[in-house]
Amino acid sequence: MARIELRNVVKRYGSFTGVRRMDLDIADEEFLVLLGPSGCGKTTTMRMIAGLEEPSEGEVVIGGEVVNEVDARDRDVAMVFQGYALYPNMSIYENIRFPLRMRGIGKADQDALIRRAAEMVELGDFLDRKPGALSGGQRQRAALARAVVRQPQVFLMDEPLSNLDAKLRSSMRVQIKHLQRQLRITTVYVTHDQIEAMTLADRIVIMEKGVIRQIGTPDEIYSDPADTFVAGFIGAPPMNLVEGRAENGRFTAPGLVAVCPPDISGRITLGVRPEDCRVVTDGPAELAGAVYGVEPTGETTYLTLRTGETLFEVKAARDARFDLGAPVKIGFDPERIYFFDTETGVRLRAQPQRSAA
Amino acid sequence: MEKRRKSKGDNLVLRYLVLGSWALFCLVPILWFLSIGFRPRTEIITPEPIYWPTFSLDAWRLLLADWPIFDYLRNSVVAVAGSVVIDLILGIPAAYSLTRYEYRGRDDIGFYILSTRMMAPAIVAIPIFFLFRNMGLLDSVWALMLIYAAVNLSIVVWIIRSYMLDIPKELEDAARTDGAGDLRILWEVIIPACLPGIITASVIAAIFAINEFLFTLLIASTKSAYTMSVALANFTGGSDGVIYNAIALVSFLAFLPILVLIVLIQKHLSRGLTMGAVKG
Repeated sequence: MARIELRNVVKRYGSFTGVRRMDLDIADEEFLVLLGPSGCGKTTTMRMIAGLEEPSEGEVVIGGEVVNEVDARDRDVAMVFQGYALYPNMSIYENIRFPLRMRGIGKADQDALIRRAAEMVELGDFLDRKPGALSGGQRQRAALARAVVRQPQVFLMDEPLSNLDAKLRSSMRVQIKHLQRQLRITTVYVTHDQIEAMTLADRIVIMEKGVIRQIGTPDEIYSDPADTFVAGFIGAPPMNLVEGRAENGRFTAPGLVAVCPPDISGRITLGVRPEDCRVVTDGPAELAGAVYGVEPTGETTYLTLRTGETLFEVKAARDARFDLGAPVKIGFDPERIYFFDTETGVRLRAQPQRSAA
Repeated sequence: MEKRRKSKGDNLVLRYLVLGSWALFCLVPILWFLSIGFRPRTEIITPEPIYWPTFSLDAWRLLLADWPIFDYLRNSVVAVAGSVVIDLILGIPAAYSLTRYEYRGRDDIGFYILSTRMMAPAIVAIPIFFLFRNMGLLDSVWALMLIYAAVNLSIVVWIIRSYMLDIPKELEDAARTDGAGDLRILWEVIIPACLPGIITASVIAAIFAINEFLFTLLIASTKSAYTMSVALANFTGGSDGVIYNAIALVSFLAFLPILVLIVLIQKHLSRGLTMGAVKG
């Protein structure tokens, strides 16, 4: 039960800067997801909150107290690791008991707490087993139980699901979210999987190369991306990004013509999500291309087109059938087109046009 | 499928054949010792082959009567066991420090420790003799304990270190966030996780120590410090000339403690206790 703040935090390893000037305010009981590709500094950020790494500059504040000088074991945070990190020589019961023992919680209270934590993750029948005798999903749940058993101020989870298979991952995802809501403990969750981020987070922090690119709710990140990096990272399949030129309210690229706000010009990248495109049989369309590939997923069919040098993905009707190489025209939802500066990647927003001074 | 199973069976036969012959090759001298040790003296020195040996405890009686074998055995056990304990008390923290702490010259210190093993022991034999003489520790089991410990420490450190390097760092991070301090982590997480390494190192150190000859010869001069290895070398069977069956018996007795040790702990001698700590 604590608010976490990072103030101007920097982490350097020799001449390499892992995290640069990071400011982050995590509300009490919030579920915050740090999302980014590997090497973006998300795990380092989490380890600084845990006290396993020391920031080179700046302050880490947990529950109103600057904890830079506080050792990891005194921070009252519980962490779940990618590799589970269960103690191999101890039974699951002893594993869950370990943090209670370390914190001097009386023997009399231990048993009830351990059984409650094990029940929460449905491991009640496995307490006598050693970690080696459990499946991956069970080990992950044992690691969760060890984290929840002592009701810490903060939960930290470092890619906890990345070693599980896809099916198990989605069921564990729901369990983690349920557990967090039930216990109301501030949680920081690191992942490179955007679906995990979207489904779990109250807010997502997207990082790249040690810098925060955008902070927002999943909906904000999805519908209002700040730059091409965020736009390309969120969504499956990701947003189509087409480089071209804009002049006099028209954006043009090979095979593509679209209306754009009149104050945007120069080298521009247009972005549109596959789900905001539709196949047009007759009538006006923004894009013309040839069918490059068709991927039915059951729920829908993804159509990949080739226009000029770029591949462009469109979400089509579930029963849509196309021949390879056939010409197809695509229309965009005009409300859902994004423009970015090609040079910097920054999102360009139309100036409010009718804003009479 | 059928074919594959068959070829696998062939391989198995071949494997047993190779391993079996090798085991026989290694064991024959020991069995020979045993057989000589329990036969009368006269039978051993006849030139004709003997197909039905006679059983005799003559060599035993001779041995127990005028050779203080139990003193030697006791000296061996005390010196070896004590040296292994010293090695573990010093070696485990040293190995942990070499694996986990970052400090200047860490790798150089590690190499220095290992390099002490590369030196020929004879180089330090004379200084060590004077050192122990000045400390009044000549002809003492305690001196042997210290020397064995010193000789084997480097190997113990390096074996344990190599096992510790395999322990995932996450395990320690988990213990730390769970609230454990350095010593707790070492005692409750690291040592159990590298127990196979610690056992392996102990056995190897014990074998080296029990076979140690040069320093023992230097330090020990009476039965109060003679160990089996040196006593064995000096043993000829008593005042009646060389008695081979007694020598064979003593050799076998010297070999026995190590055999028992290995059999008792062989299941720990293989790696595998960290399985299940991380995915894999």
